[in-house]
Amino acid sequence: MSLVRLILANLWAKKSRSIGIGFAIGIAVMTVVTLTVVSSGLESSAAAVLTVGKSDFTVAQNGVSDILFSSIDNGQLENVKSTKGVASAVGVLLETEKINAANPLFLEIGIDPGDLAHFGVTVVAGTPYGATASHAVMLGWRAAQNLGLHVGDRFEGNGTWNTVTGIFSTGIAYGDLGAMFPLPALQARNRVAGSVTLVFVKVVPGYSIAKVEKALTSAHPELTTIQTATQFGRADRNLVFLQAAATGSTVLAILIGAVIVGNTMLLSLFERTREFGLLRAIGWTRTRVVVLVVGEGVVLAVAGSATGVGLSFAATSVLEHLPQLNGVLHANYTQGAFWRGLYTGLGMAVIGAFYPALRAANLAPLKALSHE
Amino acid sequence: MNDPGSAPRPLIEAHQVSKVYDDGMIRALDGVDLSVADGEFVAITGPSGCGKSTLLHLLAALDRPTSGTIRVDGYDMNNLRHSNRFRRQEIGLVFQLHNLLPRLSVLGNVEIAMAASHRPYSERSLYARRLLGDVDLAHLADRRPTQLSGGERQRVAIARALANDPPVLLADEPTGSLDSASVEVVLGLFQRLRAERGVTIVLVTHDNVVAGVADRIVHMLDGKVAADAGGAL
Repeated sequence: MSLVRLILANLWAKKSRSIGIGFAIGIAVMTVVTLTVVSSGLESSAAAVLTVGKSDFTVAQNGVSDILFSSIDNGQLENVKSTKGVASAVGVLLETEKINAANPLFLEIGIDPGDLAHFGVTVVAGTPYGATASHAVMLGWRAAQNLGLHVGDRFEGNGTWNTVTGIFSTGIAYGDLGAMFPLPALQARNRVAGSVTLVFVKVVPGYSIAKVEKALTSAHPELTTIQTATQFGRADRNLVFLQAAATGSTVLAILIGAVIVGNTMLLSLFERTREFGLLRAIGWTRTRVVVLVVGEGVVLAVAGSATGVGLSFAATSVLEHLPQLNGVLHANYTQGAFWRGLYTGLGMAVIGAFYPALRAANLAPLKALSHE
Repeated sequence: MNDPGSAPRPLIEAHQVSKVYDDGMIRALDGVDLSVADGEFVAITGPSGCGKSTLLHLLAALDRPTSGTIRVDGYDMNNLRHSNRFRRQEIGLVFQLHNLLPRLSVLGNVEIAMAASHRPYSERSLYARRLLGDVDLAHLADRRPTQLSGGERQRVAIARALANDPPVLLADEPTGSLDSASVEVVLGLFQRLRAERGVTIVLVTHDNVVAGVADRIVHMLDGKVAADAGGAL
């Protein structure tokens, strides 16, 4: 009779209770994994904006709640351009617009046609729009494909009808799903004349990107630089709050779950007092008793975590299909989400089981054996 | 075992053992002296509350004496550091209630006592079956305790007590909840185990008939040894 077999036999003997605890752990793990997957998906979607332009780093306004609220005026753009080591700095205005049910967050980029090459845009059909054109647009090739539009067709966006002058490719899926407008036209429509959302910076070859970033932010603390998606929080506080909510819910899930698991296991301890007394009387060490009880918790945690991950797939799928979230939420099942689910389950079970295990181990054998 | 011709060495020695509870309000044992030789079968009798079970618990290191000294197979009970190891290796315990775990098979109930033994894992199941054979229950190894009679359950408990080959078997009213037929079987088993394995047995009972199967009967009264004699009182 190995300890593992004994643990399984003990859990099997109280099937309803074991299933109940496992399910409670599963619900908590589902919540944590779903939140993590959702926040990670939102992070990826939001950070995808940064990948549209070909650059060494991106400049945004420091401390805004949403990166799309970043506002950099012409003077600041010139400051960026004049920073030592900067080879090119392309200012773009970014907006999202719901153009139909399938595209609730259609990306619209306002950019000067002269900057297209620096931005990494290739015109694959037609021609770029004029710098000051008022009803012209270029569509990303994926967007054109999805919408069934070609050069010369009409596209309703930026609050007006526009003629499609060209089809472009950025090489980035997110960018190719959007549209580009002349910068002044998009600024006028959004009433932000003279300002852009982000500046995409290329550094002179041989210069240290980090040093250029540091020089820029030191001289202009109202600006921040972002190189990778993980630095996204510098400019997007919403994402930081979302991540904090996911972490907070994990901690809460562990604590609340541990109380539930601990309570149930304490009840079980009272029922099994004679058993623990017997085990101690026939020579079991305290450590072995602790391992037995915590082991039961660990098995429940692993089973509950697996259930929770399965449930999170279902929950995320339901969320993705909600009308309010369709096209906004893209589940991102990272390895980290699964680990977080597993350690949430383990944390609940091990913390919850530890106190009952200690109580069981410290029972006086004689007293326990006379327990009714 | 002892050399032929030599006096059996005392395996259990209790000297002036006292045990008090509730700050001295209850004196369960009062200056008990007891010596049990290696391989001896001793029955401790007496009325309820005379201290016989308390004495057995002290011998089993389930409790500590308030004063006096106890040595079991060389272990000083007053200064025992690893009582778990002592109970695992030196003694087998049989209780009035069999205390078998209902969710385990009969075999599992015997194996559970070997959890921390030095016996290789691969041999444990085989040895547990052998022990069940010794108590004539090999054919019931895969049954649950709830499917056994009271006498059969107590025999499983005896097999469990022998799982680690202890030199001493301590039994607390092992026949207290059995019918007369089962009592005979269990007592016969104790005698056989003593004869075949040479195990030292200390059996606590309030039943003089049960005590009659022992080599020696120690009668207790009010926490003291009132009489110590071979054979029936």
